[in-house]
Amino acid sequence: MNDYANPWSYRLQWAYMLLVVATLMTPVFYVMYVSFNENGFGAAEYVFTTEWYGVVFGDKLMMNALGWTVSLAICTTLITVPFAVLSAKFYKNARNKLPVLFLLMLPLFVAPDIFGSALLVYFKNLNFAFQWLGDQLGTGMFDAWFRLGFMTALIGLVIYTIPYAFIVVLITMGRYREEQTEAARSCGASSWRAFWDIEFPQIRPGVASSCAFTVILCFNEYTRTSLLKGGFDTFTTVLVSQMLNTGMSEQSYAMSAMVSYVAIALIGGIILWTLVRSDKLGREARAKAEPVAA
Amino acid sequence: MNRLARGAFWVPLIFMAVFFALPLLLTAVWSVFERTMFWMEPGFTLFSYENFFTSARLWNFLASMWHSLISVLICLVLGFPIAVFVRRRIPQVAQHRVVLLFILPFMVSEIIRIFALRPVLQRNGLVNHTLLHLGVISEPITSILYTPTGVIIGEVLSFLPFIVFSGFLAMEAVPKHVFEVCEDLGASTVRTYRDVILPLAAPGIFAGSVFIFVNGIGVALLPNILGGPGAVNAGLIATQAIVALDFPLAMAVSAIMISTLLALLYIGHRLFDLTHVLEPAKR
Amino acid sequence: MRDAVTTDAPAVEVRGLAKHYGPVRALDGVDVTIQAGEYFVLLGPSGGGKTTLLRTIGGFHRPTAGDVLLHGRDVSDLPPEKRPTGMVFQQYALFPHMTVERNVGYGLSLQKRPKAEISDRVSAMLDQVGLTGLGGRKPHELSGGQQQRVQLARALVLDRDILLLDEPLAALDAQLRKDMCLELKHLQEKVGVTFIHVTHNQEEAMTVANRIALIADGKLIEQGTARQIYEAPRRRFTASFIGENNLIDGTLSATGDGTATLDIGSDRITVPSDESASSGHDATISIRSELVAIGPAGGEGLAATFVESVYLGLTTSHRARLADGTEIVSRVVSAPTPPAEPGAPVTVSWPQDSARLHID
Repeated sequence: MNDYANPWSYRLQWAYMLLVVATLMTPVFYVMYVSFNENGFGAAEYVFTTEWYGVVFGDKLMMNALGWTVSLAICTTLITVPFAVLSAKFYKNARNKLPVLFLLMLPLFVAPDIFGSALLVYFKNLNFAFQWLGDQLGTGMFDAWFRLGFMTALIGLVIYTIPYAFIVVLITMGRYREEQTEAARSCGASSWRAFWDIEFPQIRPGVASSCAFTVILCFNEYTRTSLLKGGFDTFTTVLVSQMLNTGMSEQSYAMSAMVSYVAIALIGGIILWTLVRSDKLGREARAKAEPVAA
Repeated sequence: MNRLARGAFWVPLIFMAVFFALPLLLTAVWSVFERTMFWMEPGFTLFSYENFFTSARLWNFLASMWHSLISVLICLVLGFPIAVFVRRRIPQVAQHRVVLLFILPFMVSEIIRIFALRPVLQRNGLVNHTLLHLGVISEPITSILYTPTGVIIGEVLSFLPFIVFSGFLAMEAVPKHVFEVCEDLGASTVRTYRDVILPLAAPGIFAGSVFIFVNGIGVALLPNILGGPGAVNAGLIATQAIVALDFPLAMAVSAIMISTLLALLYIGHRLFDLTHVLEPAKR
Repeated sequence: MRDAVTTDAPAVEVRGLAKHYGPVRALDGVDVTIQAGEYFVLLGPSGGGKTTLLRTIGGFHRPTAGDVLLHGRDVSDLPPEKRPTGMVFQQYALFPHMTVERNVGYGLSLQKRPKAEISDRVSAMLDQVGLTGLGGRKPHELSGGQQQRVQLARALVLDRDILLLDEPLAALDAQLRKDMCLELKHLQEKVGVTFIHVTHNQEEAMTVANRIALIADGKLIEQGTARQIYEAPRRRFTASFIGENNLIDGTLSATGDGTATLDIGSDRITVPSDESASSGHDATISIRSELVAIGPAGGEGLAATFVESVYLGLTTSHRARLADGTEIVSRVVSAPTPPAEPGAPVTVSWPQDSARLHID
């Protein structure tokens, strides 16, 4: 922006941007607002209560679903984030980047229901094939490999979350200078040591963010999980089936609000952390800049 | 050890090939299988395609494409200028933080945001309540929810953040001094967009548009929750077929969707080289 | 000070080295030998392959063909961390999340040396490169020159026999670069390590080098001391790249008796030469600009047209053009009046033995 630009156009554009964010968030905040109303949605009178959250937490089924969701989220993160780091390193060094990019980013573009259906049929076929194989070999050890369940839901979630984790890690890695790895190696570090000692500490913010994103995405995901989960239920599948079957109850408002809290808390945490961190770094740099100039 | 370490880099790619690329390709094979009572058996029949192309499903599918296209345009018009503004007017160090603002709605579950539109747009919901209260309208608006308009609103609100991200990534390909050159040459806003920004940001815009388009026709929940009785898109056709145990039909729809997607991406790649979307990351 | 290596083998011996990237030949059949304790400079235009050569010696590139021998040992299959080389990079190569002390001590800590030893050696090394008391700083709190000193310290503290420097001064401003050049040279003399230094700046190269190798288009063009390369270049490219030389193309008409005769347009010039190329061969002569004189028309020499004078402070460049369009520069200590008016006919001449013949 130059000094002659109209300050009002600048302010107007800021206002527009914030308005868009606010509009996007309005339904979410409205759900939270309703979730604290004792009389539920549409009531003439607003009475604050946390009763509905109590109902959710008191519900055995819900708590069970929450448990499954948390374990899925943890397992997915443990697989997706290392995969993302490995792939990002691979991508940076790859001579032919297109196939790598294609494999890792395409899940973003395949609609959830389509991908869920394809993977469902794939797993069913795999399951038949492995059972047949087991029968031929006279063993039952292959039977449960690809039966719909935790494992299949996990695979679906890993594929769903990889593009996001990959992008975040790749962007942080983009700011890393490869010369540092070379310098470490000429100091005697193996490529593995150089990665841990030098590169990893510098991409740690990206890795942390991709962990957070993966957890949030697992909490949010419905379609793929519901197709691939088999017997158990997660938080969102309970929520959606409730909403589809009986409409929005007070309890579903509380549950929706809870899913949003997880996302907002994690993202808000990241935003605050980066703000504080960059602020601190900036202040340190300014404080120590003086003697350098002298 | 060294070979083992190098092999580790291939694990994610092999995983993606086996559990992602392969199932997608196989949809085309399964789509020509014979339907049985609860499953399907190998064979070759185009019955599922016939079923799709000669029934009302085709028109529903085309209608959902049309709605999706409208959503893409609305998202571009509303969202892309934000990306330009952030890149052009906000100091470099603050840019990523501003973009983080849009991560917030993006990271709140799509399902919650789609569902929450019901209470917001309902007869006695937030919008009607507020407008009635302000005296703008005297009768509640009931022609939004359970109509194509409702679906389009849902799509825009779901996918708008994405166009901001892909737009922003694309704008990183536009060097900042370009704006100063444009101002210096006295180019109008329209001409700056048409001659400079859009061509440079094209790969990112294209990637964002394709994302919105295919998700608009693929996310079953959108018409299921916000659309009226007839509202159906490809995603919903597929999941309904799965529920009805008509697996070949579900696979045929999937195969059609995937070929559409691949064709779009191929065209885009030929036109713009989509690897440029990640160019800033490569630097 | 240095006693690790007592063999007579040269520090670095590169034989028939080639590095191809698909159809691109970054290096093509390079042979070079560098003696222990030498300050050796790889000089050349950017993209010419000098950095590739240095990085292949350091183990960051695997050669397509050829061998690299360090102290007589073939290291072609060793990764960088197993080679007796240390490396100083252009910029950005300091570890930004570590203090200066930890940067310098990183290699020692990888060797699992005791803490006390590390800290002693690090502070001794920091003293040596002139960074006393800055050990607690982070790299971004240092100036560009200080950062490069830290890199030097980090590489030298490991007592490696060979130090590779990849454009170490390229990011510094002109004055600082001059000072650092002399410091590098004195440092190398003091520690006695073999330095191999890549640069595209010839003044930098001449300041520091015992010997210079000129590298362009993936080939080693010529090598020698700074004085040899400047005063007696054998190849045309060297003459065009080093110093300010006038290059005049012509055709050989006779050779022998330690001289050669060259036809340039309608003129005939005799130059000293040991070459025994047959007549009719294309050839070029080069004359350093400070040895060319521009005099009034009709004198002994080549006829030319005066173009202009450019005042450069201590010296002035007078430019004239030969009949075939070749531009001739004569550089003299500034005098108050130019030798001629622009457009006037003049004669350019030089002492006969100052011209050098290049047959490429």
